Amino acid sequence: MLKVENVKKKFIKQTGKKAKEEFYANKGISFEAKEGTIVGILGPNGAGKSTLLRMIAGILEPTEGTIEYDGMTHEKYELAIKKSLAFLSGNTKIYNSLSPYELLKMCAELYEVPEGEIEKRIEEISKTLGMEQFLYNKIENLSTGQTQRVNIARCLVHNPKYYILDEATSGLDIISSQIILDFIKSEKSKGKTVLYSTHYMEEAENICDECLMINEGVVIKRGTPEEIKVFTKTTNLRDAFFKLIEGVHDEK
Amino acid sequence: MKNKVWLILKKEIRETFRDKKSLSMMLIIPILIPLMVLGMSALFEAQMNEDINEYNKIGIAYEPTEVEKEIFKNLGIEVVYGEVDDLKEKYSFGELDLYLTKEDTVYTINGTEGASTSYASKLVESYFVAYKQFLQSEYLADKNIDPNEVFDIIKLDRNIAESNNYFSSYVTVYSFLFIIMAITVSATYPATDSTAGEKERGTLETLLTFPIKSRDIIVGKFLSVSLSAAITGFLGLILMEIALYLSSNWFTVFEGVDLTLSPLHLVVVSLVIITFSLLISGLCIAIASKCKTFKEAQSALTPLNFICFFPGMIAFMLDIESSVWLSMIPFVNVTTIFTDMTNGIVDWLDIGLMFLSTGVIIFVVLWLIIRQYKSEKVLFTN
Repeated sequence: MLKVENVKKKFIKQTGKKAKEEFYANKGISFEAKEGTIVGILGPNGAGKSTLLRMIAGILEPTEGTIEYDGMTHEKYELAIKKSLAFLSGNTKIYNSLSPYELLKMCAELYEVPEGEIEKRIEEISKTLGMEQFLYNKIENLSTGQTQRVNIARCLVHNPKYYILDEATSGLDIISSQIILDFIKSEKSKGKTVLYSTHYMEEAENICDECLMINEGVVIKRGTPEEIKVFTKTTNLRDAFFKLIEGVHDEK
Repeated sequence: MKNKVWLILKKEIRETFRDKKSLSMMLIIPILIPLMVLGMSALFEAQMNEDINEYNKIGIAYEPTEVEKEIFKNLGIEVVYGEVDDLKEKYSFGELDLYLTKEDTVYTINGTEGASTSYASKLVESYFVAYKQFLQSEYLADKNIDPNEVFDIIKLDRNIAESNNYFSSYVTVYSFLFIIMAITVSATYPATDSTAGEKERGTLETLLTFPIKSRDIIVGKFLSVSLSAAITGFLGLILMEIALYLSSNWFTVFEGVDLTLSPLHLVVVSLVIITFSLLISGLCIAIASKCKTFKEAQSALTPLNFICFFPGMIAFMLDIESSVWLSMIPFVNVTTIFTDMTNGIVDWLDIGLMFLSTGVIIFVVLWLIIRQYKSEKVLFTN
């Protein structure tokens, strides 16, 4: 189980030529993600979703608070945690001069997949994601959709327990987006935990078991899509979000 | 399980060798080394020949004796007779290399400081030595004194070991400095690409999500950059040896001198190339890691191309020999060790100290970069 407790992240912002200002991208976020669930992290651009997911993936260090994977923290079990998760964002870039096969082999070796299983896993994944046609082409020659499929394959190669997906469908056409959504559902069915951030509310409503609505670094509502809709007396998460923001603004 | 340093090294090598720019940086300067060696040799050869043939036009503003005329002829001096003003004008138009005037027994060499006047002046000085000796002999003979008894009153024997041909030292040291420069240029591009470039392209974030220690990432990158720098260095060394061999055979300026390096010297130079490749790679990675973009890193590394070359060049020009302290100063130590070697000295203590000091610098530099990669600052500077 993934447990995030009172996580804060402070950045220093340059406000003038010499003037600097501190600001919190996350102001004390807490939640839990159980096995076999998809937790949606929803909010507009700049809400603090990517910062939160980067901290969970161990790329950023929290200023305060703790992140635990089955009782393990990044400080003490960095490599063990990284072995058990896969991080994919809409901005995640891969090595263009390599072929998908070379990249997957390198990833499998870095994740310490047993030598004898590597070829079998690459074959399985490339079949599942329809990559056989371009498995040995250079990544720089692939289309955006094909590149994103390679990126998903990279996440699958070590069979992780946790997936951290940050705006993974942003900028993709509907076919490529659907491939990612199908992949998320299929991994969930295998008992994997998925953290999925997006600003496409409809997408989240379809796949998430639980949603965290974030605005300005703060969780403004947490619950299943149904619970949030009932609470806000709306029919979809998009309207629910606007209603929740109104509430926050009114309180301010 | 494969060693993760090896996996990173393999990835970096693949990227470097598939990148045309990195490859061209590795090959361009080594290819220039033979051209430089042969070009310099040809220039020296031309200069040497020019000394005798070209700068021998001397104006004379007086009537020389038959003996003087004979000496002029023997020394290959081309004499132009005329009045002082006439000769002065000819000299100003470059038709003469200098001109001589005479008042009683005082001869004056006239001209302005410059290459042609300087060469011609040396020739004229030889003429006066010969003429003076003739007059002194005649004077002594008139006094019934054997001139040889006077001239040989003391004897001078030369017991000075033949030093290296000046031109050969010049060519070998400069071609070595070119190898040093080639190594630096070769390390710069992959170091920039694998640090600032990777950051700019967004692949560094991906790399940092893998279960791999910062130490392994940095050591892998460092070894890959060092490898490409060392390949350039050894390619440069091979081409330098070929060019020096050809120069020894083609140009008379190196007559009697073997420019090529002996097997022992080749071993020493190889060790110097490896040490310098490691040092420069560490420094390039350290500087480029601090930069956010490829362009910024390239600008930051430009001074290194000069720093690597000039201390060595100055040490050579000032004829500075290696010492315990100099062996520990980066950039200078490689040249002083090489210069000593061309003078026939291989001091293993100096070489050992060079390794030691470079090892310490590399260790500190790598430690600093690893610390930087452990922190999120490597991705998000601000």
